[in-house]
Amino acid sequence: MSEMARETHTVATGLDANNTMAIADRLGAFILGALTVFAIILLIAPSLIVILISFTETAYITFPPQGFTFKWYADLFGRQQIIDSALTSVRIAVWTTAIAMLLAVPAAFSLVRGRYPGKAFAGALIVAPQMIPGMVIGIALLFFGAYIAFRQSDLMLILGLTVFCLPFAVRLVMAQLQLLDPALEEASLSLGASKRMTFVQITLRQIVPAAIAGAAFVFIESFDNLTVALFTASPRGRPLSVELYNLVQYDSSPMVAALSSLEILLAFVVMLVLSRTIGLERLAK
Amino acid sequence: MAEALWTRFREGRGIWLSVPAFVFLTIFFIAPMAVLLSFGFTEIERGQVREGTFTLKYLTNTLTDDLFWWVWWKSFYIGVLSTLLCFLLAYPLAYVYSNSGRVMRLLILILTISPLLTSAIVRTYAWLVILGGRRGVVNVTLIELGLIDRPIRMLNTDFAVIMGMTQVHLPFMILPLITVLAARDRNMEAASLGMGASRIATFFKITVPMSTPGIVAGLTIVFALSYTNFIIPQLLGGGGFTTLAVQVYEQIVVILDWGRGAMLALLLLGSCFVFILAIGLAGNRAMRWAEREAAT
Repeated sequence: MSEMARETHTVATGLDANNTMAIADRLGAFILGALTVFAIILLIAPSLIVILISFTETAYITFPPQGFTFKWYADLFGRQQIIDSALTSVRIAVWTTAIAMLLAVPAAFSLVRGRYPGKAFAGALIVAPQMIPGMVIGIALLFFGAYIAFRQSDLMLILGLTVFCLPFAVRLVMAQLQLLDPALEEASLSLGASKRMTFVQITLRQIVPAAIAGAAFVFIESFDNLTVALFTASPRGRPLSVELYNLVQYDSSPMVAALSSLEILLAFVVMLVLSRTIGLERLAK
Repeated sequence: MAEALWTRFREGRGIWLSVPAFVFLTIFFIAPMAVLLSFGFTEIERGQVREGTFTLKYLTNTLTDDLFWWVWWKSFYIGVLSTLLCFLLAYPLAYVYSNSGRVMRLLILILTISPLLTSAIVRTYAWLVILGGRRGVVNVTLIELGLIDRPIRMLNTDFAVIMGMTQVHLPFMILPLITVLAARDRNMEAASLGMGASRIATFFKITVPMSTPGIVAGLTIVFALSYTNFIIPQLLGGGGFTTLAVQVYEQIVVILDWGRGAMLALLLLGSCFVFILAIGLAGNRAMRWAEREAAT
Protein backbone atom coordinates (compact mmCIF):
# COMPACT_ATOMS: atom_id res chain seq x y z
CA MET A 1 0.00 0.00 0.00
CA SER A 2 2.71 2.47 1.02
CA GLU A 3 4.74 1.41 -1.99
CA MET A 4 1.85 2.15 -4.27
CA ALA A 5 1.47 5.54 -2.66
CA ARG A 6 5.16 6.21 -3.18
CA GLU A 7 4.97 5.24 -6.81
CA THR A 8 2.08 7.60 -7.47
CA HIS A 9 4.06 10.22 -5.63
CA THR A 10 7.04 9.54 -7.89
CA VAL A 11 5.10 10.26 -11.02
CA ALA A 12 3.66 13.43 -9.53
CA THR A 13 6.77 15.15 -8.20
CA GLY A 14 9.54 14.03 -10.52
CA LEU A 15 13.14 14.65 -9.48
CA ASP A 16 12.83 14.82 -5.69
CA ALA A 17 10.92 11.55 -5.60
CA ASN A 18 13.50 9.98 -7.88
CA ASN A 19 16.05 10.87 -5.26
CA THR A 20 14.13 9.19 -2.45
CA MET A 21 13.66 6.18 -4.68
CA ALA A 22 17.38 5.98 -5.31
CA ILE A 23 18.12 6.26 -1.61
CA ALA A 24 15.58 3.54 -0.81
CA ASP A 25 17.13 1.34 -3.49
CA ARG A 26 20.58 1.89 -2.07
CA LEU A 27 19.35 1.05 1.42
CA GLY A 28 17.72 -2.08 0.02
CA ALA A 29 20.94 -3.10 -1.70
CA PHE A 30 22.84 -2.49 1.53
CA ILE A 31 20.49 -4.68 3.58
CA LEU A 32 20.65 -7.36 0.89
CA GLY A 33 24.44 -7.26 0.96
CA ALA A 34 24.63 -7.31 4.75
CA LEU A 35 22.31 -10.32 5.02
CA THR A 36 24.27 -12.12 2.30
CA VAL A 37 27.56 -11.52 4.09
CA PHE A 38 26.04 -12.75 7.35
CA ALA A 39 24.71 -15.87 5.61
CA ILE A 40 28.16 -16.58 4.15
CA ILE A 41 29.78 -16.15 7.58
CA LEU A 42 27.22 -18.52 9.06
CA LEU A 43 28.03 -21.10 6.39
CA ILE A 44 31.79 -20.96 6.62
CA ALA A 45 32.74 -19.74 10.11
CA PRO A 46 31.80 -22.85 12.12
CA SER A 47 33.97 -25.21 10.06
CA LEU A 48 36.80 -22.70 9.94
CA ILE A 49 36.75 -22.16 13.71
CA VAL A 50 36.74 -25.89 14.42
CA ILE A 51 39.74 -26.43 12.13
CA LEU A 52 41.66 -23.53 13.67
CA ILE A 53 41.15 -24.58 17.29
CA SER A 54 42.22 -28.14 16.51
CA PHE A 55 45.79 -26.79 16.36
CA THR A 56 45.74 -24.98 19.72
CA GLU A 57 48.42 -25.80 22.30
CA THR A 58 46.06 -25.25 25.22
CA ALA A 59 44.45 -28.28 26.87
CA TYR A 60 40.97 -26.79 26.43
CA ILE A 61 39.16 -25.43 23.38
CA THR A 62 39.75 -21.72 22.96
CA PHE A 63 39.46 -19.12 20.27
CA PRO A 64 41.64 -17.66 18.93
CA PRO A 65 43.87 -20.75 19.23
CA GLN A 66 47.18 -20.34 21.00
CA GLY A 67 50.34 -21.68 19.39
CA PHE A 68 50.38 -24.42 16.82
CA THR A 69 50.59 -28.14 17.37
CA PHE A 70 49.57 -31.43 15.80
CA LYS A 71 49.43 -33.17 19.17
CA TRP A 72 45.62 -33.45 19.20
CA TYR A 73 45.75 -35.36 15.95
CA ALA A 74 48.43 -37.65 17.39
CA ASP A 75 46.28 -38.04 20.50
CA LEU A 76 43.32 -38.95 18.31
CA PHE A 77 45.16 -41.74 16.51
CA GLY A 78 46.38 -43.06 19.84
CA ARG A 79 42.85 -43.73 21.07
CA GLN A 80 41.86 -47.27 20.22
CA GLN A 81 38.18 -46.65 20.93
CA ILE A 82 37.99 -43.89 18.33
CA ILE A 83 39.95 -45.88 15.75
CA ASP A 84 37.63 -48.84 16.32
CA SER A 85 34.46 -46.81 15.97
CA ALA A 86 35.81 -45.12 12.84
CA LEU A 87 36.43 -48.55 11.32
CA THR A 88 32.93 -49.65 12.35
CA SER A 89 31.51 -46.57 10.63
CA VAL A 90 33.47 -47.20 7.46
CA ARG A 91 32.28 -50.82 7.37
CA ILE A 92 28.67 -49.78 7.94
CA ALA A 93 28.86 -47.01 5.33
CA VAL A 94 30.37 -49.36 2.74
CA TRP A 95 27.64 -51.96 3.27
CA THR A 96 24.90 -49.35 3.22
CA THR A 97 26.27 -47.82 0.02
CA ALA A 98 26.52 -51.22 -1.67
CA ILE A 99 22.99 -52.31 -0.74
CA ALA A 100 21.43 -48.94 -1.45
CA MET A 101 23.02 -48.67 -4.90
CA LEU A 102 22.14 -52.25 -5.82
CA LEU A 103 18.52 -51.45 -5.03
CA ALA A 104 18.52 -47.89 -6.37
CA VAL A 105 19.98 -48.23 -9.88
CA PRO A 106 17.55 -50.93 -11.11
CA ALA A 107 14.65 -49.20 -9.35
CA ALA A 108 15.49 -45.89 -11.05
CA PHE A 109 15.60 -47.68 -14.42
CA SER A 110 12.25 -49.24 -13.80
CA LEU A 111 10.67 -45.98 -12.62
CA VAL A 112 11.91 -43.96 -15.58
CA ARG A 113 11.73 -46.46 -18.44
CA GLY A 114 9.22 -49.04 -17.33
CA ARG A 115 5.55 -48.89 -18.19
CA TYR A 116 3.38 -50.96 -15.95
CA PRO A 117 0.33 -50.54 -13.73
CA GLY A 118 1.18 -49.29 -10.24
CA LYS A 119 4.39 -47.55 -11.33
CA ALA A 120 3.36 -44.29 -9.69
CA PHE A 121 2.64 -46.15 -6.47
CA ALA A 122 6.01 -47.95 -6.54
CA GLY A 123 7.71 -44.60 -7.17
CA ALA A 124 5.89 -42.98 -4.27
CA LEU A 125 6.85 -45.79 -1.90
CA ILE A 126 10.49 -45.75 -2.93
CA VAL A 127 10.92 -42.04 -2.23
CA ALA A 128 8.61 -42.02 0.82
CA PRO A 129 11.33 -42.50 3.47
CA GLN A 130 12.74 -39.06 2.75
CA MET A 131 9.60 -37.52 4.24
CA ILE A 132 10.21 -39.38 7.50
CA PRO A 133 12.84 -38.06 9.95
CA GLY A 134 15.78 -40.40 10.55
CA MET A 135 14.78 -40.63 14.19
CA VAL A 136 11.37 -42.09 13.32
CA ILE A 137 12.90 -44.55 10.85
CA GLY A 138 15.31 -45.68 13.58
CA ILE A 139 12.60 -46.00 16.25
CA ALA A 140 10.27 -47.91 13.92
CA LEU A 141 13.04 -50.38 13.09
CA LEU A 142 13.92 -50.75 16.78
CA PHE A 143 10.28 -51.56 17.64
CA PHE A 144 9.95 -53.86 14.63
CA GLY A 145 13.04 -55.70 15.88
CA ALA A 146 11.40 -56.18 19.29
CA TYR A 147 8.65 -58.14 17.54
CA ILE A 148 10.95 -60.57 15.79
CA ALA A 149 13.70 -60.78 18.44
CA PHE A 150 16.07 -58.78 16.28
CA ARG A 151 18.39 -56.65 18.39
CA GLN A 152 20.26 -53.41 17.86
CA SER A 153 23.28 -54.36 15.77
CA ASP A 154 25.43 -53.35 12.84
CA LEU A 155 22.93 -55.12 10.60
CA MET A 156 19.97 -53.19 11.99
CA LEU A 157 21.87 -49.95 11.54
CA ILE A 158 22.77 -50.84 7.94
CA LEU A 159 19.12 -51.65 7.17
CA GLY A 160 17.91 -48.41 8.75
CA LEU A 161 20.50 -46.33 6.91
CA THR A 162 19.64 -48.02 3.62
CA VAL A 163 15.97 -47.06 4.08
CA PHE A 164 17.07 -43.53 5.01
CA CYS A 165 19.43 -43.09 2.02
CA LEU A 166 17.61 -44.97 -0.73
CA PRO A 167 15.43 -42.05 -1.92
CA PHE A 168 18.47 -39.79 -2.52
CA ALA A 169 20.23 -42.46 -4.59
CA VAL A 170 17.11 -43.31 -6.61
CA ARG A 171 16.38 -39.67 -7.36
CA LEU A 172 19.93 -38.88 -8.47
CA VAL A 173 19.99 -41.81 -10.92
CA MET A 174 16.43 -41.08 -12.10
CA ALA A 175 17.35 -37.47 -12.87
CA GLN A 176 20.26 -38.65 -14.98
CA LEU A 177 18.14 -41.19 -16.86
CA GLN A 178 15.56 -38.56 -17.66
CA LEU A 179 18.29 -36.41 -19.21
CA LEU A 180 19.51 -39.18 -21.54
CA ASP A 181 18.93 -38.53 -25.18
CA PRO A 182 17.12 -41.55 -26.73
CA ALA A 183 18.62 -40.56 -30.10
CA LEU A 184 22.01 -41.80 -28.90
CA GLU A 185 20.65 -45.27 -28.25
CA GLU A 186 18.76 -45.31 -31.52
CA ALA A 187 21.88 -44.18 -33.40
CA SER A 188 23.88 -46.95 -31.76
CA LEU A 189 21.31 -49.54 -32.78
CA SER A 190 20.98 -48.29 -36.33
CA LEU A 191 24.76 -48.26 -36.71
CA GLY A 192 24.68 -51.99 -36.14
CA ALA A 193 25.55 -52.31 -32.45
CA SER A 194 23.76 -55.13 -30.72
CA LYS A 195 21.11 -54.35 -28.15
CA ARG A 196 23.35 -55.65 -25.44
CA MET A 197 26.27 -53.51 -26.55
CA THR A 198 24.04 -50.46 -26.83
CA PHE A 199 22.73 -51.01 -23.34
CA VAL A 200 26.18 -51.43 -21.79
CA GLN A 201 28.13 -48.91 -23.87
CA ILE A 202 25.54 -46.18 -24.23
CA THR A 203 22.89 -46.43 -21.54
CA LEU A 204 24.83 -47.76 -18.58
CA ARG A 205 27.88 -45.64 -19.32
CA GLN A 206 25.87 -42.48 -19.23
CA ILE A 207 24.46 -43.14 -15.80
CA VAL A 208 27.80 -44.08 -14.23
CA PRO A 209 28.53 -40.48 -13.10
CA ALA A 210 25.15 -40.22 -11.36
CA ALA A 211 25.65 -43.62 -9.75
CA ILE A 212 29.09 -42.58 -8.43
CA ALA A 213 27.66 -39.32 -7.13
CA GLY A 214 24.81 -41.23 -5.50
CA ALA A 215 27.22 -43.67 -3.90
CA ALA A 216 29.41 -40.84 -2.58
CA PHE A 217 26.35 -39.15 -1.17
CA VAL A 218 25.02 -42.31 0.48
CA PHE A 219 28.47 -43.06 1.89
CA ILE A 220 28.86 -39.70 3.62
CA GLU A 221 25.25 -39.64 4.80
CA SER A 222 25.53 -43.08 6.39
CA PHE A 223 29.00 -42.37 7.77
CA ASP A 224 27.83 -39.16 9.48
CA ASN A 225 24.34 -40.27 10.43
CA LEU A 226 23.38 -39.95 14.07
CA THR A 227 19.58 -39.85 14.06
CA VAL A 228 19.12 -43.44 12.83
CA ALA A 229 22.26 -44.70 14.60
CA LEU A 230 21.24 -43.60 18.11
CA PHE A 231 18.30 -46.03 17.98
CA THR A 232 19.63 -48.92 15.94
CA ALA A 233 23.40 -49.13 16.54
CA SER A 234 24.79 -51.87 18.71
CA PRO A 235 25.66 -50.56 22.21
CA ARG A 236 29.00 -52.33 21.85
CA GLY A 237 31.12 -51.24 18.92
CA ARG A 238 29.43 -47.89 18.44
CA PRO A 239 29.82 -46.02 15.14
CA LEU A 240 31.92 -42.86 15.05
CA SER A 241 28.90 -40.54 14.94
CA VAL A 242 27.59 -41.86 18.28
CA GLU A 243 31.11 -41.76 19.72
CA LEU A 244 31.53 -38.17 18.59
CA TYR A 245 28.13 -37.27 20.02
CA ASN A 246 29.30 -38.43 23.45
CA LEU A 247 32.69 -36.76 23.11
CA VAL A 248 31.10 -33.43 22.18
CA GLN A 249 28.98 -33.58 25.31
CA TYR A 250 31.54 -34.76 27.85
CA ASP A 251 35.03 -34.04 26.48
CA SER A 252 36.30 -30.47 26.22
CA SER A 253 39.74 -31.35 24.86
CA PRO A 254 40.75 -29.97 21.45
CA MET A 255 41.03 -33.60 20.31
CA VAL A 256 37.30 -33.40 19.55
CA ALA A 257 38.06 -30.48 17.26
CA ALA A 258 40.78 -32.53 15.56
CA LEU A 259 38.32 -35.36 14.94
CA SER A 260 35.75 -32.87 13.66
CA SER A 261 38.33 -31.34 11.33
CA LEU A 262 38.99 -34.73 9.79
CA GLU A 263 35.26 -35.16 9.18
CA ILE A 264 35.19 -31.75 7.49
CA LEU A 265 38.07 -32.93 5.30
CA LEU A 266 36.07 -36.04 4.38
CA ALA A 267 33.11 -33.81 3.41
CA PHE A 268 35.40 -31.90 1.04
CA VAL A 269 36.60 -35.11 -0.56
CA VAL A 270 32.99 -36.14 -1.17
CA MET A 271 32.20 -32.70 -2.55
CA LEU A 272 35.10 -33.04 -4.98
CA VAL A 273 33.69 -36.38 -6.15
CA LEU A 274 30.24 -34.81 -6.62
CA SER A 275 31.56 -31.84 -8.58
CA ARG A 276 33.66 -34.10 -10.81
CA THR A 277 30.79 -36.47 -11.59
CA ILE A 278 27.51 -34.60 -11.89
CA GLY A 279 28.52 -31.05 -11.02
CA LEU A 280 27.42 -29.02 -8.03
CA GLU A 281 24.65 -27.21 -9.94
CA ARG A 282 22.87 -30.49 -10.54
CA LEU A 283 23.02 -31.32 -6.88
CA ALA A 284 21.15 -28.14 -6.06
CA LYS A 285 18.07 -29.46 -7.83
CA MET B 1 20.64 -60.97 -19.90
CA ALA B 2 21.24 -57.37 -20.91
CA GLU B 3 19.59 -58.09 -24.21
CA ALA B 4 16.49 -59.40 -22.53
CA LEU B 5 16.53 -56.35 -20.30
CA TRP B 6 16.64 -54.04 -23.25
CA THR B 7 13.77 -55.81 -24.98
CA ARG B 8 11.68 -55.60 -21.90
CA PHE B 9 12.09 -51.85 -21.75
CA ARG B 10 11.18 -51.60 -25.39
CA GLU B 11 8.08 -53.61 -24.68
CA GLY B 12 7.34 -51.22 -21.85
CA ARG B 13 7.69 -53.55 -18.92
CA GLY B 14 10.63 -53.71 -16.52
CA ILE B 15 8.54 -53.90 -13.38
CA TRP B 16 10.80 -56.55 -11.86
CA LEU B 17 13.68 -54.12 -11.61
CA SER B 18 11.88 -52.13 -8.95
CA VAL B 19 10.77 -55.24 -7.09
CA PRO B 20 13.92 -55.56 -4.90
CA ALA B 21 13.64 -51.96 -3.68
CA PHE B 22 9.89 -52.35 -3.25
CA VAL B 23 10.20 -55.53 -1.19
CA PHE B 24 13.08 -54.13 0.85
CA LEU B 25 11.11 -51.03 1.80
CA THR B 26 7.97 -53.02 2.54
CA ILE B 27 9.85 -55.18 5.05
CA PHE B 28 12.22 -52.63 6.58
CA PHE B 29 10.21 -49.42 6.28
CA ILE B 30 6.46 -50.01 5.91
CA ALA B 31 6.26 -52.92 8.36
CA PRO B 32 8.31 -51.08 11.02
CA MET B 33 6.16 -47.96 10.57
CA ALA B 34 3.06 -50.12 11.09
CA VAL B 35 4.64 -51.56 14.26
CA LEU B 36 5.38 -48.04 15.48
CA LEU B 37 1.75 -47.11 14.88
CA SER B 38 0.54 -50.19 16.74
CA PHE B 39 2.90 -49.53 19.69
CA GLY B 40 1.14 -46.24 20.27
CA PHE B 41 -2.09 -48.15 20.95
CA THR B 42 -0.89 -51.36 22.64
CA GLU B 43 -0.27 -52.11 26.32
CA ILE B 44 3.49 -52.24 26.84
CA GLU B 45 5.18 -52.95 30.14
CA ARG B 46 8.95 -52.79 30.57
CA GLY B 47 9.54 -53.33 26.89
CA GLN B 48 7.21 -56.35 26.84
CA VAL B 49 4.41 -55.94 24.33
CA ARG B 50 1.10 -57.47 25.42
CA GLU B 51 -0.17 -58.53 22.07
CA GLY B 52 -3.80 -58.21 21.14
CA THR B 53 -4.47 -55.41 23.59
CA PHE B 54 -5.78 -52.05 22.48
CA THR B 55 -5.51 -48.92 24.54
CA LEU B 56 -6.00 -45.22 24.06
CA LYS B 57 -4.25 -44.45 27.32
CA TYR B 58 -1.05 -43.15 25.70
CA LEU B 59 -3.07 -40.84 23.50
CA THR B 60 -5.35 -39.50 26.23
CA ASN B 61 -2.56 -39.31 28.83
CA THR B 62 -0.44 -37.30 26.43
CA LEU B 63 -3.13 -34.95 25.19
CA THR B 64 -4.38 -34.15 28.71
CA ASP B 65 -0.86 -33.50 29.96
CA ASP B 66 -0.17 -29.76 30.30
CA LEU B 67 3.54 -30.42 30.04
CA PHE B 68 3.02 -31.97 26.62
CA TRP B 69 1.37 -28.83 25.28
CA TRP B 70 4.05 -26.65 26.79
CA VAL B 71 6.75 -28.78 25.17
CA TRP B 72 4.85 -28.79 21.89
CA TRP B 73 4.65 -25.01 21.92
CA LYS B 74 8.41 -24.80 22.52
CA SER B 75 9.13 -27.11 19.56
CA PHE B 76 6.77 -25.14 17.38
CA TYR B 77 8.15 -21.73 18.13
CA ILE B 78 11.79 -22.83 17.93
CA GLY B 79 11.00 -24.46 14.57
CA VAL B 80 9.16 -21.42 13.21
CA LEU B 81 11.78 -18.89 14.34
CA SER B 82 14.75 -20.81 12.98
CA THR B 83 12.90 -21.46 9.71
CA LEU B 84 12.13 -17.76 9.28
CA LEU B 85 15.70 -16.81 10.16
CA CYS B 86 16.96 -19.31 7.59
CA PHE B 87 14.69 -17.77 4.99
CA LEU B 88 15.77 -14.23 5.84
CA LEU B 89 19.42 -15.15 5.33
CA ALA B 90 19.07 -17.62 2.47
CA TYR B 91 16.95 -15.46 0.18
CA PRO B 92 19.45 -12.60 -0.21
CA LEU B 93 22.26 -15.09 -0.77
CA ALA B 94 20.27 -17.00 -3.39
CA TYR B 95 19.34 -13.69 -5.06
CA VAL B 96 22.99 -12.62 -5.18
CA TYR B 97 23.82 -16.06 -6.62
CA SER B 98 21.27 -15.66 -9.40
CA ASN B 99 22.79 -12.31 -10.41
CA SER B 100 26.43 -13.44 -10.22
CA GLY B 101 28.96 -14.70 -12.70
CA ARG B 102 30.42 -18.18 -12.91
CA VAL B 103 33.15 -17.88 -10.29
CA MET B 104 30.93 -16.31 -7.63
CA ARG B 105 28.24 -18.93 -8.31
CA LEU B 106 30.71 -21.76 -7.87
CA LEU B 107 31.98 -20.20 -4.65
CA ILE B 108 28.46 -19.91 -3.22
CA LEU B 109 27.69 -23.49 -4.24
CA ILE B 110 30.82 -24.78 -2.52
CA LEU B 111 30.01 -22.78 0.61
CA THR B 112 26.45 -24.13 0.59
CA ILE B 113 27.12 -27.78 -0.20
CA SER B 114 30.18 -28.37 1.97
CA PRO B 115 28.30 -27.84 5.26
CA LEU B 116 25.53 -30.04 3.86
CA LEU B 117 28.02 -32.88 3.64
CA THR B 118 29.56 -32.21 7.04
CA SER B 119 28.13 -34.09 9.99
CA ALA B 120 25.50 -32.18 11.95
CA ILE B 121 27.34 -32.91 15.21
CA VAL B 122 30.50 -31.26 13.90
CA ARG B 123 28.56 -28.19 12.87
CA THR B 124 26.76 -28.05 16.20
CA TYR B 125 30.04 -28.58 18.04
CA ALA B 126 31.31 -25.44 16.35
CA TRP B 127 28.55 -23.53 18.10
CA LEU B 128 29.65 -24.83 21.49
CA VAL B 129 32.95 -23.13 20.71
CA ILE B 130 31.39 -19.97 19.32
CA LEU B 131 28.86 -19.41 22.10
CA GLY B 132 30.33 -21.50 24.90
CA GLY B 133 31.29 -20.07 28.28
CA ARG B 134 33.64 -17.19 28.92
CA ARG B 135 36.10 -18.37 26.28
CA GLY B 136 33.47 -18.49 23.52
CA VAL B 137 34.22 -16.60 20.33
CA VAL B 138 31.29 -14.21 20.63
CA ASN B 139 31.99 -13.32 24.24
CA VAL B 140 35.74 -12.84 23.62
CA THR B 141 34.99 -10.59 20.66
CA LEU B 142 32.38 -8.52 22.47
CA ILE B 143 34.66 -8.04 25.48
CA GLU B 144 37.62 -7.05 23.33
CA LEU B 145 35.47 -4.58 21.48
CA GLY B 146 34.48 -3.19 24.87
CA LEU B 147 30.79 -3.70 24.22
CA ILE B 148 30.34 -5.79 27.35
CA ASP B 149 32.58 -6.20 30.38
CA ARG B 150 31.43 -9.62 31.53
CA PRO B 151 30.64 -12.74 29.50
CA ILE B 152 26.94 -13.16 28.72
CA ARG B 153 25.37 -16.59 29.06
CA MET B 154 24.71 -17.69 25.50
CA LEU B 155 24.91 -21.43 25.63
CA ASN B 156 21.90 -23.29 27.05
CA THR B 157 19.43 -20.66 25.84
CA ASP B 158 16.67 -20.61 23.24
CA PHE B 159 18.89 -18.25 21.27
CA ALA B 160 21.68 -20.84 21.06
CA VAL B 161 19.28 -23.54 19.86
CA ILE B 162 17.70 -21.27 17.25
CA MET B 163 21.08 -20.09 15.93
CA GLY B 164 22.42 -23.63 15.86
CA MET B 165 19.42 -24.86 13.89
CA THR B 166 19.54 -21.88 11.53
CA GLN B 167 23.18 -22.54 10.74
CA VAL B 168 22.83 -26.29 10.31
CA HIS B 169 19.72 -26.05 8.11
CA LEU B 170 20.66 -22.97 6.07
CA PRO B 171 21.88 -24.98 3.01
CA PHE B 172 18.51 -26.75 2.76
CA MET B 173 16.86 -23.34 2.35
CA ILE B 174 19.47 -21.96 -0.03
CA LEU B 175 19.38 -24.81 -2.58
CA PRO B 176 15.69 -24.66 -3.62
CA LEU B 177 15.83 -20.85 -3.69
CA ILE B 178 18.92 -20.92 -5.91
CA THR B 179 17.12 -23.28 -8.27
CA VAL B 180 14.04 -21.08 -8.78
CA LEU B 181 15.86 -17.75 -8.74
CA ALA B 182 18.55 -18.80 -11.23
CA ALA B 183 15.92 -20.14 -13.64
CA ARG B 184 13.51 -17.21 -13.34
CA ASP B 185 12.19 -15.21 -16.27
CA ARG B 186 13.70 -11.74 -16.01
CA ASN B 187 11.40 -10.04 -18.53
CA MET B 188 8.83 -9.13 -15.89
CA GLU B 189 11.50 -7.45 -13.78
CA ALA B 190 12.83 -5.53 -16.77
CA ALA B 191 9.32 -4.41 -17.64
CA SER B 192 8.66 -3.30 -14.07
CA LEU B 193 11.91 -1.31 -13.95
CA GLY B 194 11.23 0.09 -17.40
CA MET B 195 7.88 1.41 -16.23
CA GLY B 196 9.68 3.36 -13.55
CA ALA B 197 9.17 1.15 -10.51
CA SER B 198 11.96 1.22 -7.97
CA ARG B 199 14.28 -1.75 -7.56
CA ILE B 200 12.85 -2.46 -4.12
CA ALA B 201 9.27 -2.45 -5.38
CA THR B 202 10.25 -4.70 -8.29
CA PHE B 203 12.04 -7.07 -5.92
CA PHE B 204 9.08 -7.43 -3.57
CA LYS B 205 6.29 -7.33 -6.17
CA ILE B 206 7.83 -9.37 -8.98
CA THR B 207 10.89 -11.34 -7.92
CA VAL B 208 9.73 -12.65 -4.54
CA PRO B 209 6.21 -13.73 -5.62
CA MET B 210 7.64 -15.43 -8.71
CA SER B 211 9.90 -17.56 -6.55
CA THR B 212 7.05 -18.92 -4.43
CA PRO B 213 7.63 -22.61 -5.35
CA GLY B 214 11.22 -22.42 -4.11
CA ILE B 215 10.16 -20.56 -0.99
CA VAL B 216 7.54 -23.20 -0.19
CA ALA B 217 10.02 -26.02 -0.79
CA GLY B 218 12.64 -24.37 1.43
CA LEU B 219 10.23 -23.53 4.25
CA THR B 220 8.82 -27.07 4.18
CA ILE B 221 12.18 -28.84 4.37
CA VAL B 222 13.70 -26.53 6.97
CA PHE B 223 10.63 -26.53 9.20
CA ALA B 224 10.41 -30.33 9.10
CA LEU B 225 14.12 -30.64 9.91
CA SER B 226 14.03 -28.09 12.74
CA TYR B 227 10.80 -29.37 14.26
CA THR B 228 12.07 -32.95 14.45
CA ASN B 229 15.69 -32.21 15.41
CA PHE B 230 16.61 -33.56 18.84
CA ILE B 231 20.41 -33.30 18.60
CA ILE B 232 20.82 -29.53 18.54
CA PRO B 233 18.45 -28.85 21.48
CA GLN B 234 20.32 -31.46 23.53
CA LEU B 235 23.75 -30.06 22.72
CA LEU B 236 23.03 -26.32 22.79
CA GLY B 237 19.93 -26.07 24.96
CA GLY B 238 21.36 -27.58 28.13
CA GLY B 239 19.87 -30.10 30.54
CA GLY B 240 16.47 -28.54 31.19
CA PHE B 241 15.78 -27.71 27.56
CA THR B 242 13.21 -29.94 25.95
CA THR B 243 11.23 -30.15 22.74
CA LEU B 244 8.83 -32.78 21.44
CA ALA B 245 11.63 -34.49 19.49
CA VAL B 246 13.88 -34.50 22.58
CA GLN B 247 11.03 -36.05 24.57
CA VAL B 248 10.65 -38.82 22.01
CA TYR B 249 14.36 -39.61 22.32
CA GLU B 250 14.28 -39.55 26.12
CA GLN B 251 11.15 -41.69 26.42
CA ILE B 252 12.59 -44.38 24.18
CA VAL B 253 16.30 -44.37 24.98
CA VAL B 254 16.49 -43.13 28.59
CA ILE B 255 13.13 -43.77 30.28
CA LEU B 256 12.35 -46.83 28.11
CA ASP B 257 8.61 -46.11 28.10
CA TRP B 258 8.05 -47.34 24.54
CA GLY B 259 4.29 -46.88 24.50
CA ARG B 260 4.47 -43.21 25.39
CA GLY B 261 7.53 -42.79 23.17
CA ALA B 262 5.68 -44.30 20.22
CA MET B 263 2.69 -42.03 20.81
CA LEU B 264 4.92 -38.94 21.04
CA ALA B 265 6.72 -39.95 17.85
CA LEU B 266 3.37 -40.35 16.06
CA LEU B 267 2.16 -36.98 17.31
CA LEU B 268 5.45 -35.39 16.23
CA LEU B 269 5.19 -36.88 12.77
CA GLY B 270 1.46 -36.14 12.41
CA SER B 271 1.73 -32.53 13.51
CA CYS B 272 4.76 -32.04 11.26
CA PHE B 273 2.72 -33.20 8.26
CA VAL B 274 -0.11 -30.84 9.20
CA PHE B 275 2.29 -27.86 9.28
CA ILE B 276 3.90 -28.87 5.99
CA LEU B 277 0.46 -29.11 4.42
CA ALA B 278 -0.39 -25.67 5.80
CA ILE B 279 2.79 -24.19 4.31
CA GLY B 280 1.90 -25.74 0.94
CA LEU B 281 -1.65 -24.36 1.03
CA ALA B 282 -0.45 -20.91 2.07
CA GLY B 283 2.03 -21.04 -0.81
CA ASN B 284 -0.73 -21.84 -3.30
CA ARG B 285 -2.80 -18.96 -2.00
CA ALA B 286 0.13 -16.56 -2.16
CA MET B 287 0.80 -17.63 -5.72
CA ARG B 288 -2.78 -17.07 -6.85
CA TRP B 289 -2.86 -13.73 -5.08
CA ALA B 290 0.41 -12.70 -6.74
CA GLU B 291 -0.92 -13.67 -10.16
CA ARG B 292 -4.03 -11.57 -9.64
CA GLU B 293 -1.89 -8.63 -8.47
CA ALA B 294 0.39 -8.96 -11.47
CA ALA B 295 -2.61 -9.09 -13.81
CA THR B 296 -4.07 -5.83 -12.52
